[in-house]
Amino acid sequence: MRFWVLMKRDVLVSWRKKSNIYQPLVFQLLIVTMFPLGLGAGAQTLQKIAPAVVWILALISTLITLEDIFKDDYEDGSLGLYALSGMPLSLAVLAKAAAHWLTTGVPVILFAPVIAVLLHLPSQSYLILMLSLLIATPIFSLLGTVGSALVMTLKNGGMLLSVLIMPLLAPVLIFGAGAVLETTLGNSATAHLTLLSGCLALSVTLAPLAAAAAIKVNLE
Amino acid sequence: MNKIVKFYHEMGSPPSFYRITAYWLKPLLITSIILMIYGLVDGLFFAPPDYQQGDSYRIMFVHVPAAWMSMFIYGIIGVAGIITFVWRMKVAEAVMMASAPIGALFTALTLLTGMLWGKPMWGTYWDWDARMTSELILLFLYIGVIGIYSAYDDDPRKAARLAALVAIIGLVNLPIIRYSVTWWTSIHQGASISLMGGNTGIKDWSMLRPLLVMALATKFYYMYSMLARARNYLLRTEEQKSWVIKAVNKQSE
Amino acid sequence: MKPTILQVSEVQCQKGGYALFAPVNLTLQPGQLAVIAGNNGSGKTTLMEAIATLGSFSSGKLSFQPDNSTDAWLAESHYLGHALGNKSSLTCLENIHFATQINGEKCNEASMIDALESVGLGGYEYHYASDLSAGQKKRLALSRLLLLNKTYWLLDEPFVNLDATGCDWLFAVICQHISNGGAAILTAHDNKRIHQKADVIISLERP
Repeated sequence: MRFWVLMKRDVLVSWRKKSNIYQPLVFQLLIVTMFPLGLGAGAQTLQKIAPAVVWILALISTLITLEDIFKDDYEDGSLGLYALSGMPLSLAVLAKAAAHWLTTGVPVILFAPVIAVLLHLPSQSYLILMLSLLIATPIFSLLGTVGSALVMTLKNGGMLLSVLIMPLLAPVLIFGAGAVLETTLGNSATAHLTLLSGCLALSVTLAPLAAAAAIKVNLE
Repeated sequence: MNKIVKFYHEMGSPPSFYRITAYWLKPLLITSIILMIYGLVDGLFFAPPDYQQGDSYRIMFVHVPAAWMSMFIYGIIGVAGIITFVWRMKVAEAVMMASAPIGALFTALTLLTGMLWGKPMWGTYWDWDARMTSELILLFLYIGVIGIYSAYDDDPRKAARLAALVAIIGLVNLPIIRYSVTWWTSIHQGASISLMGGNTGIKDWSMLRPLLVMALATKFYYMYSMLARARNYLLRTEEQKSWVIKAVNKQSE
Repeated sequence: MKPTILQVSEVQCQKGGYALFAPVNLTLQPGQLAVIAGNNGSGKTTLMEAIATLGSFSSGKLSFQPDNSTDAWLAESHYLGHALGNKSSLTCLENIHFATQINGEKCNEASMIDALESVGLGGYEYHYASDLSAGQKKRLALSRLLLLNKTYWLLDEPFVNLDATGCDWLFAVICQHISNGGAAILTAHDNKRIHQKADVIISLERP
């Protein structure tokens, strides 16, 4: 099926350029170093901010990879290949989002415990951290396709993409980081995770439509 | 009934829109100025001082109408965006892009007056309560719409369609943001009193009257400013058409 | 194969709000070759993209008989533009594999290697597309045409970057495609042969 063909191609392309995969992780390491440098190495302080910072770092490091989702395809003409193949454009968007999640989201999820350890995140929160990121990283990829499709033909669309995506990500951040915070306080994070799953459901259904519409307008 | 339908169709055509709204600008501006003077004088001098806050509450007469306008204008942008995207109506495009900067300014004004109100009220210039946080995110939505339009400066029609798409996405997102931010503040127990908490309980007519007058004044101002900007927008984007050349020549006579 | 006709009536394209060329009319059937001629900046690429449905017309319409739907037109046509559609981090074989699979064509590896050989890229199957020269990249893109079973070929400046043998080869391929019942629309600057071979020549003029 064409979905798998496009997804496999994208995963292969990302895998060939390994920097796509480890760049967000290196970025996270760089920034997380700045927190103790700025705040002092006190475990208490770091522990307080750990839930939010781990989450925000996962978010921001994904943000820098979003612009290229469609920009590369537009510039080398392969967008024309799959846009004109008769494949529904929203299906193509889903395939791109899935591939982006596999090559960017999954490493972020797997790397999150490392960042958490550096920030002294309490041990009871690790599972919820991974779970919340598992639900949220597909949302990042899906919303990323929308943003990338909107700024596809611009030379320096990265900043504008962040401005456009940020209001969409605010609820995701609230529920996701909130889930981890609640767990560190000893409360249940079920409500947060449920709402986060709701955001995921909404993104899966609406983001491909929005991104496909944006691509069509941009190609005019 | 026919007259209304005819009027609606005429407003949809750029040259007719331009011609008809020319007569509206001055009356709208004058009405808004008069209402604003009346509202401000009434609110600043004649409304009684609040039993809790004294005189510092009076900034509410600017803050609350600005907040209402910031949300109302985004609604207009959303609706105009849908019309632009689905039906490609040029006038809807003009209305949408004309309203965006005005809405952004009202949002910024809301945030600014909110900060000025916050200092005497709560002792702090800023507080992350539900409404101010939502207002800040609303500002980002406006910046997004304006930003994507100005990024595609070589093709205004395409830029407007993309801006319409961004506006529609923002409109769908608005209730989600509102809900999640309200939920977030309710569980975090920050400052529990909203900076705008005062207006819902106004029972005193002499306090309510200047507020409603200011609200009306801002609406007239918005109509004036939006129509003026929309007319310029149509002149700019339709500059090849003969009606533009005729209209510009007529104006310079 | 059902007999099909492509009809482009009174179409114009616009860029930045300005019409690029005077209205264009074209009727094309299998077995015909159309060449679009015009100066630089006259809108040839924009017109090609619009015919391929990658762009849009500001006026006029495109109809594809007998089944006038975009899907039917896309099923019968293939567009090759300036941006060739090669992914630089994939090998030649992988590029062709993707192009054929995404268009629903099942090709085994042998036929793909054969196609690469006939475009002169024999031995480059496992080279990355980024390692190829400009002409070789063009050949790689053209190899798609040999494998995809499309009737209408939409080629934007296909002869650019090809050397003399390459141009001869491409001319022969296009001629064979036409005589096999295919159709082609292409833009070409100064290729006398192709202009002579063309059944229809469209000259883009200022609006």
